[in-house]
Order: sequence, then structure tokens, then C-alpha cells
Amino acid sequence: MQRREFVLGGAACCAGLCGTPAWAQALQFTPPERLARPALSTDEGGLWAMMEREERKLRRSPLLVKDPKLTAYLQDLVCRIGGAHCPDIRVYPVRSAAFNASMAPNGMMQIWTGLLLRVDNEAQLAAVLGHEIGHYLQRHTQQRLQDLKSRSAFAQFIGVFGLAGAVGQIAVMGSAFAYARDQEREADQIGAILMSQAGYDVAESATVWRNLITEAKTRDAENPGANSPMFATHPLAPEREDALSKIAKQLPEGRKADAPLLAHTNTFLDEWLGDELRRNQYNESLVLLNRLVDRPGAGTLAQFYRAEAHRLRNEPSDADRALSDYREVVQHRDSPPAAHRGIGLIARDRGQNTQARQSLSRYLELAPDAPDAGFIQSYLAELPS
Amino acid sequence: MKTRLLCALVCVLCACGTVRKVEPGAVKLGERMTVDIPKAWNHFDFPVAAPAQAQLWTTEGLAIDSLTIYYGLRDSQTLSNQTPQGGKKPLVFKSNMKNEEIAATIEGLLTQDGSTFKTIKFEPANLDGRRGFKLEFEKIRAEDHVQLRGLAYAATDKGELFALVYQAPRLTFYPRQKAQIEAIAASVKIR
Amino acid sequence: MKHFFSRIFLALLLPFFSLFAHAQQASTSGPAPAVSAPAHLAPGFSALPRGAKLTMMPVDVELFLLTMGGVPEPRADWTLAARNHLTHHLRESAKSFDVRISEADEADADEWSEINTLHAAVASAIASHHTGMSTLRLPTKEGKLDWSLAEAVAPIREKTQADYALFVWVRDSYASDERKAAMVMMAMLGVGLIGGIQQGYASLVDLNTGQVVWFSRLISATGDLREREAAGKSVSSLLSGFPVPR
Repeated sequence: MQRREFVLGGAACCAGLCGTPAWAQALQFTPPERLARPALSTDEGGLWAMMEREERKLRRSPLLVKDPKLTAYLQDLVCRIGGAHCPDIRVYPVRSAAFNASMAPNGMMQIWTGLLLRVDNEAQLAAVLGHEIGHYLQRHTQQRLQDLKSRSAFAQFIGVFGLAGAVGQIAVMGSAFAYARDQEREADQIGAILMSQAGYDVAESATVWRNLITEAKTRDAENPGANSPMFATHPLAPEREDALSKIAKQLPEGRKADAPLLAHTNTFLDEWLGDELRRNQYNESLVLLNRLVDRPGAGTLAQFYRAEAHRLRNEPSDADRALSDYREVVQHRDSPPAAHRGIGLIARDRGQNTQARQSLSRYLELAPDAPDAGFIQSYLAELPS
Repeated sequence: MKTRLLCALVCVLCACGTVRKVEPGAVKLGERMTVDIPKAWNHFDFPVAAPAQAQLWTTEGLAIDSLTIYYGLRDSQTLSNQTPQGGKKPLVFKSNMKNEEIAATIEGLLTQDGSTFKTIKFEPANLDGRRGFKLEFEKIRAEDHVQLRGLAYAATDKGELFALVYQAPRLTFYPRQKAQIEAIAASVKIR
Repeated sequence: MKHFFSRIFLALLLPFFSLFAHAQQASTSGPAPAVSAPAHLAPGFSALPRGAKLTMMPVDVELFLLTMGGVPEPRADWTLAARNHLTHHLRESAKSFDVRISEADEADADEWSEINTLHAAVASAIASHHTGMSTLRLPTKEGKLDWSLAEAVAPIREKTQADYALFVWVRDSYASDERKAAMVMMAMLGVGLIGGIQQGYASLVDLNTGQVVWFSRLISATGDLREREAAGKSVSSLLSGFPVPR
């Protein structure tokens, strides 16, 4: 298998991207022609067929987010970034709390809801998707396969692109598969160019990785990549942020486009934040939530979940932190009814019966059909009058 | 090779455990708990199957349904038969936990493998007169994407946790056993 | 590195790992005859009624290359060949069943994904607890093949108008040349290395009741599913005891 080298832009009119702007030429990248399906008997062909079966499983999986509006939006974004390769890329949003996106050599792209939760704007999402498309265009996956075959670790590879089960398994498998440093660098550069061509602010690509690393460091300052599916396959390079910032300076300014992204993701926030808390990694969740409280249209919900995270973590002073957030949240029109529940439960713990009754009643008034209504009602009933 | 899994499998293969029949009628669990079961169950008596002060039962096989019974879990003991990976809050029981905290811990237990979770109903329930809760839930099992439904009952007494956690596929198997699980919960006696 | 040990993962892998006990004996001494676990019938069922309508679900097969380190590596081209051969032989065998045969296609499989996922879990339970190691038998089953999906199979029945459904699942691995060389060497040292295990099941489900009426387990150390003839032998083995109408 030949390595696909960067091709000098310039005179040759490439498929679908004729008239490459001068700055892209300066960075010397021209996207390759659309990738043809390889013969079944070759290594690549075998990989392709394998991917098709994974894709079938994905299509049938209850973990696939079957929301036409979200899927169409993501597909459209991918198309704008992928240019001529758009028809070959199929997007699948998958319900899973970790930050992850992957693209298989046959064009199947998975985006996990943990990632959709964490990106603040379209530019950040475009950065990650562009990076994955970069791996795809340069056939990095197939190169890794070649390397891995000689190390007999190939079998672990399938789970990285398939709909693997436990996140822990992917982290383990992924690290065996991991892209090499120079492949990562290439994918970063290509991703930057693609997102820039689509009109996005490349500086956001550094931001998205920085946010991820900050969160990961909460768990393990020494080894922030451990147990992250994304970092397992895309090894953490300390120079990544700087390199991306440098590339950003060479490219024209673009838009961040937070509104269109948030219009599509904010509706899922309640579900995805619930999934996030269920990871039982409250310290990491709090790093994320501290960022999300500033997100337009999401602040109230994020603050509510921050309160929940503190209440559930229940370390010293957590109850006070939670109360502080709940009290602010209930003043907003879009306050989740459960914010009253939070105040009520803490009050009840502290023997503040009047407050408890007031808040728990308010919760039930606002959400009479909540799944836990019965439970909260019983608490109310036993509060001394 | 996953070391723990291999050790566990070696254990199974060397038959250092057995599947025992639990006859219908009164069943004593540990020192303090008794349940009355209408039909026979299978007790998966292997060291790795359940943590201390707990038993793992099944009717149709572990790939289908499972009932974990905690019969007096003590302060700081874990609900899980797995070691939590770095950073995760361990799934331990504390004597001063409130019911909603126990429910959250059980939710953590049920999702530690990455399974999704949704609460269907969370309401008060007694286990032998001790005020506890009943939690009905839905989840998609991470390994094979089977859609499960489940029922968890829990209550504390003298600082110890007594609980039943049942899960089965939402098609056919959960509906088949739901009433029995409710009956078993109603039959719990705590000394 | 610590990994999650999941009891369900264990349960799902049990059928696979329970075979190591069998395969260890056979692996180093050259080709061994195919060994089939006895076919089982549900209580009250002995044979398909004459003229019953049977639908065959798409074969679920995966083939792997067993590399030096013993790690199985999926091979899609082999899998495709195996699926073709197995399907061909199943069709041929079905002609002699004396029942009306139809075939479900992949599009249907999309619709029935929850049922198929459920059936896979049930088959895994049967493989572990009924046909697998005796330490794992479930006493309440009293040695009987007594598992039913009940009304969960209704969508299949309605779409196909069939009375029974046949599911076939096969996994197989073949040693690479390096692995084979290592096996010879290790044999000289008295260590048995596994050369590759073929395992599978065939499950016959009554679509009116959801009962698994017949279940056959295949355990074989030989038989190259990439070759048409050998695939035929495996199918024969798998279907031996198939409850044809009397």
C-alpha cells in the first residue's frame, strides 16, 4: 500500500475542489480523488467488507440516535467539510457519554453524544470531524492496519470503529490501534484546512482539544489520556494545541457558528447530561459543567446539573455548593422542576422541615407525572407538620 | 488477555463453584434475611459472581436474567463485583445513605459497563416494614445491546443494606418474572 | 491494566471458552473427527409437522485468522466465502426436510433486530447452561431444553407467515502459517496449542409459541468453512438430528 503523500496544489485541477485558495496551496494540500472500493480479496477490501457489517449492526442498534433532524444536520455539516467526498460519508450519532468520533475506511462516521455535548459551536465540531476526515482521506487507518498485522494486535482494531460495548474496552483496544504521531499531525493539518475552507475559525480546533485535556487531567494529571476512547486512538501530543494555533494564524479568520449547533444540541441536553452524571465521574463532570453554565441557551440546565453533581458527589461543602446553584436556577423561567426537588432534599437532610415541605411540594406541582413523584410524595407525607 | 476475566474463567473451568438449586419456599440469606420464593431459582455460587453479602440468582441463564440479592451489606462494602477504574466514585454502601443516594448507587451499578439507563418509576416501598424504595428502570446493555427492564428494591436496617436487583430483557422475560419479583420483595423478612 | 470484568461479558463468552477444554485434547494430534454436541429437543416436541413452513434467517458467521499470539483477527473475505458456502449447504439440506422453506433477507433482519439480539442472548444461555460444561447447568431446567421467546417472535411470524424459524450462528478461526509452525514446536515441548476452533449452533424456534424446540451445538477442530465441501460437512454435523417430519 502506497502512502498517500501531500500533493502539491497549483495547476492540477483536483476533483471537486478546483480553484484551491492560495493559502491552502501554501500549506500544500489537495484532497485526493474519491476513494474507490477496493477488491474484496485485498487487505483493504477485507477491511471494507468488515466495516459494512459493523455498519449494519450500527444501523440496527438501539444506541443509534434516530433523530432525523439531528442526523440531517450532522450529515450536512460533514458534507460541507468533506467537499467532493460528501457522497461517500455516512454519519451515525451514537448515544454514549464519552467524547468520541471515528471514521472507518468505508466512510462510516460515528459521532458519540458525549462529543456533541462538549462542543460549544459548529467550528469545534468541524475541527473534530475534519480531523477524522483527514485520517480517511490519507488512508491512515489502512496504514495502521499494515503495522498492526505484524504485531498481531489487529483483532482489537474492529472494536474501535464498530459499535463496541463498554467504553473501557474501546480505550484498551484503541491504544493498540492508535494513530501514529505523524498521522495525527497530518490529520490536524488537513482538518484545519477543510474546516477553514468551509468557513470556520480554525482557532477553535485548539480550543476543543484544550477543553478535553482539562477535563481528562481531573481524573489523572499524570496520564490524562488513560481510559478515554478518543485519546486512546488519537494519542495526546503536548504540542498539538500549539501546532493548531500556529496553523490557525496562517489561515483566514472564520466563523464560530454557535447558534446553529446549539439549536440542534440543546434539545438533547437533559438526556445527555443525565448520561454524563451517570458516568459516576463527578470531578470530570464538574469541569465540563463549569464550562457549560456559560453556554447560550443551556446555562440554566447546566447549572441545575452542576447542582446535581455536587449533591450526588456529596463531599464536604458539596451540599452548600449544590444549594447555591439550585437557588439561582429556580429563579429562571426555564428552570427544571427538579431544582426544587434538590433544595427540598437537602433541606430535609438538615431537618429544615418548612423549607423541605415548600420545595418538595413545588416540585410535585410542577412535575406531577415525574417518575419519582411517588417517592417524593412519601417524603412530603412523613414531614412533621 | 483481560487478566481478571481469565482468572474468573479459569475459576469457572476448574469448577471452583457450582450452580445450586434454590427450592421454592423460605430461603435464608446470611444471618438476617429470609425470602419466600414461589418458584425455584438457580443460585450462581461462584466467587466472582457477587460481592460479599450478596448472591447472584438466575432463572434462564446469566445472558438473559439476573437477580442480585444483598442480605446485609455493611458500611463501606461494595455493591459491585468489579473494581472501579480510576476516578470513578466507588459503588459502596454507607450506613448514613439516604434512600435517594442508595438509588443513585444502584443506578451506578447498573451502568458501570456503559449501559444506558432510564428511570421508569421511583416510589417508596417497604422491605419487612423498613422504609425503602422500589425502582423500575430500562436499560440498553452495553455488551450486546439487549434492551432490558428491571426492578430494584432496597431498604436499610441497623446500618445494613438489604436489596433485590433484577434485570431481564424487556421482551418476554421481564414481563414473565415481574410479578414474582414483587412477591419476593413482599416476602422479605429482616431479623 | 485493570479491566472491567462484566458478568454478562463472561456469560456471553462462556460458550466460547468452555470449548477450550475440548479443543486442547484434539489440537496437536492432527485432524480429528468433527464432534457434535448432541442435538436437543424441547419437551413435547419430536419432529416438524409435515408441510410446516420454515423460514431460514440469514446465517450469522464470522471467520478469524488465529495469529502467532493467539489473538483472533477478523477476516471479512473468508467470512463472505463461508456465508456463501453455509447458505448454499443449508439450502441443499433444507430440500430434504420435507417442509416448505422460505428465506428471510437482510432488510428483514433490520426490522427484527431486537428479536434477533434477544435470540442471540437466549442461544448463548442455552449454549452455556444446557449444552456447555456440566458445572454451569441450571438445576431448574432439569436437563430439559426449555427456553421460549414467547410472543417476542410474533413480528417474524406475521411477516413470513411461517411456523418455524431456523437460526444458524458460526464462529471459526484458522491458524496462520506462523501459528502452525509454533504449534509444531510447542507440541515437541509437550504443550498443546489451539489451532483454531469452529463452534456454532443451530436453533429451531416455533414461531407460534416462541419455544426453542431444537438446538444443536457444533464443536469441531477441523473443517475449513472457506471450502465448499468442508462447509458442507459442518452443516451436516450441525444439522444432524434435525427433527425432520416423520
